[in-house]
Amino acid sequence: MTKAGDRGYKRSWKNLLINKRYQLRFTLFMVGLSALLMTGLGVWVMWVANETTAVSITSVRGDACPRLPSAESLGAGAGAADGSPPATRPDDPGDDGRRRANVQIDESSMTLTSTLPPDFADRVTAHWACELRQAATFDRLERGRLHILWAMIATGVALVIGLALYGIKMTHRVAGPLFKVSLYLSKMRDGRFDKVYNLRKGDQLVDFYDQFKAAHGGVVAMQHDDIARIAQVIAAADAAGLGQHPAVAELRELSARKEKSVE
Amino acid sequence: MSDPTAATGIPSPVPRSRHQRKLSNYLLDKNLQLRYILLVTLLSAAISGALGYMIYDQSRLASESIERDLQVLTVGDTSRQEFTSILAGKDQALVYEMVGLGLGLVVILSAYLVIMTHKVAGPLFKVSNYFEQMAEGRLGPVTPLRRGDMLQDFFGDFKSMHESLRGRAQADAAVMEHAVAALRDARGQVDTAARGPLDNALTALDQLVATRKKQLG
Repeated sequence: MTKAGDRGYKRSWKNLLINKRYQLRFTLFMVGLSALLMTGLGVWVMWVANETTAVSITSVRGDACPRLPSAESLGAGAGAADGSPPATRPDDPGDDGRRRANVQIDESSMTLTSTLPPDFADRVTAHWACELRQAATFDRLERGRLHILWAMIATGVALVIGLALYGIKMTHRVAGPLFKVSLYLSKMRDGRFDKVYNLRKGDQLVDFYDQFKAAHGGVVAMQHDDIARIAQVIAAADAAGLGQHPAVAELRELSARKEKSVE
Repeated sequence: MSDPTAATGIPSPVPRSRHQRKLSNYLLDKNLQLRYILLVTLLSAAISGALGYMIYDQSRLASESIERDLQVLTVGDTSRQEFTSILAGKDQALVYEMVGLGLGLVVILSAYLVIMTHKVAGPLFKVSNYFEQMAEGRLGPVTPLRRGDMLQDFFGDFKSMHESLRGRAQADAAVMEHAVAALRDARGQVDTAARGPLDNALTALDQLVATRKKQLG
């Protein structure tokens, strides 16, 4: 329900930028400053994050994985089961390259020795599990770094858009009353002192607008005062038989113009 | 809006033409200015705080990682304590740097925003002074805004209106003055009985003209 003196003006997105110079200056300052802070500090964050990622990767690499059993260790492990030296194949040349004599082994006393150490599978598994764990850690660290980057970019873009919209809306609450006063000023300049309506809800510069209304009221009161005094003179002149005097005609014309201006 | 000239007790029928910016006058419209200043400053503080915390957090993570490695590498080594305290000191220095940077930003930003918003509040203050005078029927000459003030277009509209009103009021006063003089000259042709009311009306109009002239400055 509108009060007397209110007019049903509604805010519309189309006319949010009433005073472009003022509104854009304040909005751009706010948006620019935020963007600058986000960029500057964001670069700092990324620099530290890169450093942290590099340190963490180095730290992970520092924890060496168990080595994959090599060919030598396999050879060494062949006779390791009972502590005896490793068996050599009959056709295997010796250290000095000379062929050794064939030895006949009694099958009944032959024992089977494994060619691989018993913990071979565990060591291989441990090695690759560690490698995979490290790769996963590197991946996680890199994803964390990228996550920070994208989160900052997304926040920055959202902040800039949000601030731009909010800034325009906020400055509109100041530019709106100024625009309204400008319209009345234009009318007053042309000698029309129409009724002044109230501001919309949420508008700022309420005190300023009240002062404008008082000024408008003061000018209107001046016109009414003039009209009353002129009317007195015209009435007295009519009563004295000077109604047709050119000065009275001028006063009538002036009074009519003033009356029209305050209608 | 508070009137900075009110404290002097000197009436100012016409706003002074050569207003100089004074530190004490910078907050002319506290409501309008502080709202914007608080918004921008708090926003900047929030951005700086959040990103500053991220920087600190990342730096702390790096320090912790280095500390963990040092624990393994320097078991029983007294230099470890030294390294740890260096890292802790580095993190602490980062916090101080960022707090100092944040406070500096808030102070500089607030000061700049006060000046920036003053360039809007100043013209509004000046126009509202003229409005106060208009409310009392005074239409003295309007002086221009200071260099660097904003809302020049709005002030241009106001000045144009004020000059138009003033010009019209001067013209009206001239018409009324002329009418009073012409009718006083013609009062000799009037009956004695009708002279009294006519004289009274003319005197009242004459007083009005004198008042208007005074109000026009």
